[in-house]
Amino acid sequence: MRKSRKDFLNKLFIHLLLIVISFIVLMPILLALSVSFQPRDQIFSYPPSLIPERLYFDNYINAWNLVNLDRLLLNSLFASIIVMFGKLALGVLSGYAFSHFEFKYKKTLFFAILFTLMLPMQVRVVPLFVFVSNLGLANTYSGLVLPFLASATTTFLMRQHFLTIPKSLMESAQLDGCGPFRFLFQILIPLSGPALAGLATVNFLVMWNAYLWPLIILNSDEMKVAQQGVKMLFTSASERDWGLIMAGTIIVVIPTIIVFLLAQKFFVKGIATQGIKE
Amino acid sequence: MRKFSFLMVIVFVFLLTFSAVAQEPVTIEFWHAMGGFNGEIVNTLVERFNESHDNIQVEAQNTGSYNDTLTKTQAAVQSGSAPHIVQIYEIGTQVMLDSGIIIPVEELGREVAQDNNFDWGKFLIPVSNYYNVNGQLNSMPFNSSTPILYYNKDAFREAGLDPNRPPQTFEELKEYARKLTIRGEDGNVERYGFTLGIVGWFVEQMVANQDALLVNNENGRSARATESYLDQEPAVRFIRLWKEMVDEGIMLNPGRGWDGAKQAFLSGRAAMMIESTAQVTNFTENAKNDGYELGTAFLPRPEGVDRGGVVIGGASLWAVRDHPEEELKAAWEFLSFLTEMEQQVYWFENTGYFPVTKAAVEHEMNGQFFAKNPNHLTAFLQLLLSKRSPATQGALIGTFPEVRQIVEEAVEKTLQGDLTPQEAMDEAAARVDRSLEQYNSLYE
Amino acid sequence: MKEQDYDSHFSVPYLLILPSMIILTFFLYWPTVQSVILSLYRTAPFGSRKIYSGFDNYINLFTDPTYRASLVRTSVFVLVTIFGGLAISLILSVLVNQKLKGIKIYRTIFFIPYAISPTVSGSLWVFLLNPVAGHINYFLDLLFNIQIPWLTNGFFAFIAIIIATIWKNMGFNIIFFLAGLQSIPDSVYESARIDGANSFQIFRKITVPLLSPTTFYLIIMNIIFTVFQSFGIVDIMTQGGPADATNILIYQLYRDMFVNFRLGLAAAQSVILLILVLIVTFFHFKFVSKGVHYQ
Repeated sequence: MRKSRKDFLNKLFIHLLLIVISFIVLMPILLALSVSFQPRDQIFSYPPSLIPERLYFDNYINAWNLVNLDRLLLNSLFASIIVMFGKLALGVLSGYAFSHFEFKYKKTLFFAILFTLMLPMQVRVVPLFVFVSNLGLANTYSGLVLPFLASATTTFLMRQHFLTIPKSLMESAQLDGCGPFRFLFQILIPLSGPALAGLATVNFLVMWNAYLWPLIILNSDEMKVAQQGVKMLFTSASERDWGLIMAGTIIVVIPTIIVFLLAQKFFVKGIATQGIKE
Repeated sequence: MRKFSFLMVIVFVFLLTFSAVAQEPVTIEFWHAMGGFNGEIVNTLVERFNESHDNIQVEAQNTGSYNDTLTKTQAAVQSGSAPHIVQIYEIGTQVMLDSGIIIPVEELGREVAQDNNFDWGKFLIPVSNYYNVNGQLNSMPFNSSTPILYYNKDAFREAGLDPNRPPQTFEELKEYARKLTIRGEDGNVERYGFTLGIVGWFVEQMVANQDALLVNNENGRSARATESYLDQEPAVRFIRLWKEMVDEGIMLNPGRGWDGAKQAFLSGRAAMMIESTAQVTNFTENAKNDGYELGTAFLPRPEGVDRGGVVIGGASLWAVRDHPEEELKAAWEFLSFLTEMEQQVYWFENTGYFPVTKAAVEHEMNGQFFAKNPNHLTAFLQLLLSKRSPATQGALIGTFPEVRQIVEEAVEKTLQGDLTPQEAMDEAAARVDRSLEQYNSLYE
Repeated sequence: MKEQDYDSHFSVPYLLILPSMIILTFFLYWPTVQSVILSLYRTAPFGSRKIYSGFDNYINLFTDPTYRASLVRTSVFVLVTIFGGLAISLILSVLVNQKLKGIKIYRTIFFIPYAISPTVSGSLWVFLLNPVAGHINYFLDLLFNIQIPWLTNGFFAFIAIIIATIWKNMGFNIIFFLAGLQSIPDSVYESARIDGANSFQIFRKITVPLLSPTTFYLIIMNIIFTVFQSFGIVDIMTQGGPADATNILIYQLYRDMFVNFRLGLAAAQSVILLILVLIVTFFHFKFVSKGVHYQ
């Protein structure tokens, strides 16, 4: 009896602690949410109010209209979905090559891809811009997404994942006369659901959160993406209209949080354990 | 009758389709840096032009900030996709002249478009003085502004100051700010007397207001600038005042950029500030809504120093040469359209940027606009009363955007107490000299 | 050698790799090589002049006090952010690695900053820290009666971007730490407890050493994050100021490229960063191959 009571108090304490920390972690988002529903005079009142007096939606409407958020969100969504599938397709193919085939220059090629694992966009952005523009792809969706398509991470992680699939499968498939592509599409891919879902999430977020490249390659308002919208809110609002800026920021961040929550299970299991172990 | 009108419609539609096929309109790309509300006004002007010109289609694009626009233009030029017309801020003038990609608008109008009806003397003198280099107008003046002092008249009354006698000298500015500052019981400042965002432009203007040069060779207008005068008394004096006022706690330092100071002034945390004349409309509205009286005044200058004046700021429109003649002619049509009185007046009344032509100013004088809007008049008089000299003509510096940044850093270093005003400006001058040397050596 | 491989399909692996290689060649290798070439030229704005200058750009960089200061500043920024960030993340991970009802909800909350972009993180924090309407100063005033000039004072602005960066990277770190913690079998803890070890000893003697592969991986990833992805945070929050206090290498590069229009000089900076990335990648490979070896 006494022990369980101590146990209960212990658990209660940990819960309280975790609740407090959760609030601190979420504080930037919660306060932004609160301010986004407040009219100007309430935002600048002192002491600042933590909870809106009533739900005031004008900030959302104004932010939405000021920088054409509907268009920006659609662009981001479109580009992110393309990058998500494109990266996955390329990564699955090349990961399969490195996990199931022996061929000349395999090590060299693998190294050549792996070498780019951490090569950030910033290191090559000027020549990249000139090149993409010369292809006539400046200010187009193709120009926006193409440089994102190749991914060492996806190739590497797909390879790691494919290596975990029992080798006996391959042998029996081969004995049954199953060709390499059929093996990939009918056996390997169906077995890789969680890993694919996890990688898809990451790749979606990479494109959705990209800032520098869209900033450089896109000119016209109807091509811009959501992250640029955040910066545009800072420059377009005639003075720092925090309610409006935070409303826009919330709109931009909501899809990322939804995608993350939906795929969290796959993501955490699929990637985190694999990235390190191997 | 009915049949007839139906037939007419058919014919009309047919003609319309036919003419559309026969004569594709010439498409002109126009990149500008006007976001938000001002961007909508630009769009309205463009729509008006497109409606009145069947054969030309101007496509306006907001390409971000002034700096973004300059960057994107450079990148676009290198990849062969430059726009026809681009809005570049005043400090990009020298770099555009050196770019080798532009066609001076005077050449465009006179030789390419052969437009003999255009009156090249239509611009206000301070405006054309700035953009006239090498004896011709290189870019079309568009949005022009200068800084003025804004103050809260109610705060003046509260502090026992005459609301109709704003500070005119550095010394008065300090004295007034001291009186306008309110401290709470805990010693924290509740209202500052004065605030100013850390923006290089204000330092440039304060130097010109003392009729002093920013760089040698007549502000870079008689030959390429090779030496900066930032370490000389006119600039240092202003930085010293800035530092003293911030240290005394009578001036709020809102950090780099425009927003902090504006926010402080509009929310009543500061009683005076210096900002662009492009804000007159915005501030006047705000004062009306918040129920206080707004005052405006000329920039203060140190006592006993000759009055110079303000330099025109803002941006102008440049034409890019590498386009077919037909498109260049269309670009000229658009540029010329923007300088017509109707457009100028519309632009001015909606954005607060000065009209750049004499006709538009006269129209506003006669139409009582200035009588009804005294704050706009202050802005205007300050510009017109500025002494004409190389100082107020404005400096031409190839690396001006960088210079502005160097100055801003120097101000920050001073305010943080890392360096004295003189030390900070010595360092800034040395950095500017180095940057000028590197830039100039590319064009030897 | 291995009979299960499709050795008979000689061209298949090359075909599989081809799409990736095409994209990599055009959008990665080629521009990277171009950066190296460009770094050997002095360039004028608009590309109107391009003068071969050997290693002048590099010499200019390393003799420029601004750039050297930026190097030092970036190192401090990276060190503080990584150690602060990893310490906080590790503690939070241990907290949410308990068997408790509803623990998944806390985990999800702690993961969330992972999904947030640097731009948004910057935007949220610049609001919280702004002196007029921000809440942080209000709380500090309430609790300690102090007002901190977050974004106008160099030291505090530096702290501000560190806070925003740590917060943004926290979700990523916790995901990986938690995965690492969960791969430690319960039996290890149990036997330690039987031997009479207390919680702190277990943490220090068992958890930390067993997590070292995870920690190493996270250090490497965090170096890349803080050096490069902080661009969005700095751009929104401070633009490198005040007085250069938050002008980290990536921002200096951006400035020289897009404000000062010195492409050659910016390219030289890219190459310096490239070398840094290569060093980090080298260590990462060593670590990866070690991991494979253990298998």
